[in-house]
Amino acid sequence: MSTASIIVAISSFALGTLLALMTIPVLVWLERRTAGLVQDRLGPNRTNIFGFRLGGVVQSFADVVKLVLKEEYYPSHIKSGKWLFMLAPIITFVAALLAFMVIPFADTLIIGDEHLRVQPLPIDFGVFWYLAVSSIGVIGVIFGGWLSHNKYSLLGAARAASMVVSYELPLGLSILAFIITYDTVDFNAMVTSQSELLFGFLPAWGIFMQPIASIILIITLFAETNRNPFTVAEGESEIVAGFMTEYSAMKFAMYFMAEYIAMNTASAVIITMIFGGYQLPYISTQMMLDNFTTLAICVMIAAPIVVTLFIKWMQKNNRVRPGMAQDKGREFETKFFTIAFIVMTIAIEFILLYLAFFSENLLAQSIYVTVIQIATFVVKLMIFNMFFILIRWTLPRFRYDQVQKLGWYYLLPLALLNIFVTALVVVGVSL
Amino acid sequence: MSQNVKVVQRASSSVRDKLYLPAIYDGMKITFKHFFKNLSDINAVDVLRYPEEQPQDITDRYRGLHRLTHRPDDSIACVACFMCATACPSNCMFIEAQEREDGHDEKMPKSFSIDTLECIFCGYCVEACPCDAIRMDTGIFSLTGNKREDFVLDKEQLLANKGAFGEVCSCARD
Ligand code: SF4
Ligand code: SF4
Repeated sequence: MSTASIIVAISSFALGTLLALMTIPVLVWLERRTAGLVQDRLGPNRTNIFGFRLGGVVQSFADVVKLVLKEEYYPSHIKSGKWLFMLAPIITFVAALLAFMVIPFADTLIIGDEHLRVQPLPIDFGVFWYLAVSSIGVIGVIFGGWLSHNKYSLLGAARAASMVVSYELPLGLSILAFIITYDTVDFNAMVTSQSELLFGFLPAWGIFMQPIASIILIITLFAETNRNPFTVAEGESEIVAGFMTEYSAMKFAMYFMAEYIAMNTASAVIITMIFGGYQLPYISTQMMLDNFTTLAICVMIAAPIVVTLFIKWMQKNNRVRPGMAQDKGREFETKFFTIAFIVMTIAIEFILLYLAFFSENLLAQSIYVTVIQIATFVVKLMIFNMFFILIRWTLPRFRYDQVQKLGWYYLLPLALLNIFVTALVVVGVSL
Repeated sequence: MSQNVKVVQRASSSVRDKLYLPAIYDGMKITFKHFFKNLSDINAVDVLRYPEEQPQDITDRYRGLHRLTHRPDDSIACVACFMCATACPSNCMFIEAQEREDGHDEKMPKSFSIDTLECIFCGYCVEACPCDAIRMDTGIFSLTGNKREDFVLDKEQLLANKGAFGEVCSCARD
């Protein structure tokens, strides 16, 4: 183990943890604001620290403080096994968190003759890890429902558990189709093989290679994360609030956060398997390294344009309505961020200028390529999280029998058929 | 019996509807349209930015915060008859009577307080009062405070509240 490999391992682990944990408040905020905008209202945008609202993200942190400070309340009918009752949400939370840890954020970094994975847990059987760990999450749900000693919670847990178990089959089968197609169980190798071209003009992303398996994967992952339209674990009209009825304060928050981490993990798996992961379409890692100067110039041109558009948007929208007297620091906030963004862009421009024309430092260049890939990954992740959120405000909840029917009558046979066809094609091609 | 049975054709029987995915696409189109329209111009979203923008459409029948009315000579209209406190379903009015020395009536309230945390703003007190001494026409819809005691309105505060829709004095007494 060299110093470089230790640094890369630690920083990718830190990055993974940060991406998983920091996205919780951001996603909670994003979900509420998106919901607002979809429904022609605004969502939380008032909370601020010294006038800095950041569009209202501060609200999520205020909520965290509130939940932490709330009274820990245990229902009096839970006589023994309180620690198990407490453990249940932790299981769900940790499972969702650990499942995220095998997603590669960038291509393998080559320093000297060492190949270093930019993956929080550097293992090469990522798909199996994901399948194994993410399905543990439902145990926390079952525990929670069972230990609540409450019929509604038990029913909610039973519904969630049976749905997750039903959808695990088509999920596994669709992933099997991808394993056959890519011929690997390593997420990173999957992404690498998606950087090729299909028929000479399409990027060989999973969605084009395996459209049916991709749709099944997306549907089943929606079910696995217990999100709309598959929120059968909850159901205000039939079973009160589902398995978390008896949970309060931080215990409830654990379930709540686990849902968002699970959504984040599902998005990460979807983009890694079928949307090319950290790759930009048509551009492979080797191409980026070989044509570093071109890449740097492209970014140098693109960055100011993107930042200008964003600043324009911010100046238009981060202000009070004309005709409203008070401003409460919004103008200052806009000014501050405008300057901050401009300074940041200029700094990036200078670094790129130096790297592209005045330095032949290969290490710095490959680190820069890694950073670009991480940025691509994060952007794709956020786009897909937005998709998850917008689906929630589009589709109503399925009835329970519809959920089971969809899983067993349609998705399972379709997934089996798809595997059959995939196997035929793969064998046919290799002959 | 059977002739009363109406067979209703299921609405979604076409292949397009059964596939479900086109329907999701249709729904997403609407969701996206609203989202991007509002995102591009947040100030155009038609909502009331509450603390800065105050509601302009409070009608004079709106039950706002209570007030005690005055007679034309500015003395208190209330005669401490306890009708309102008796009618109050949440027992949140606390009245103490004392002898009246300004020559109008026999009694007046020595203290008169309403615990607005318990009040349900039903307006029964206003209905019960025989001399139009208590009203809820202040138009005050937001009540804030830092501690519980701030929400108990005493006689001075109730007398200081102004009516928002004309009618300054009690109609019943002079
Ligand atoms: S509004 Fe109703 S609850 Fe409130 S003080 Fe009057 S009678 Fe009592
Ligand atoms: S407010 Fe009206 S009902 Fe209540 S004590 Fe005074 S006079 Fe009587």
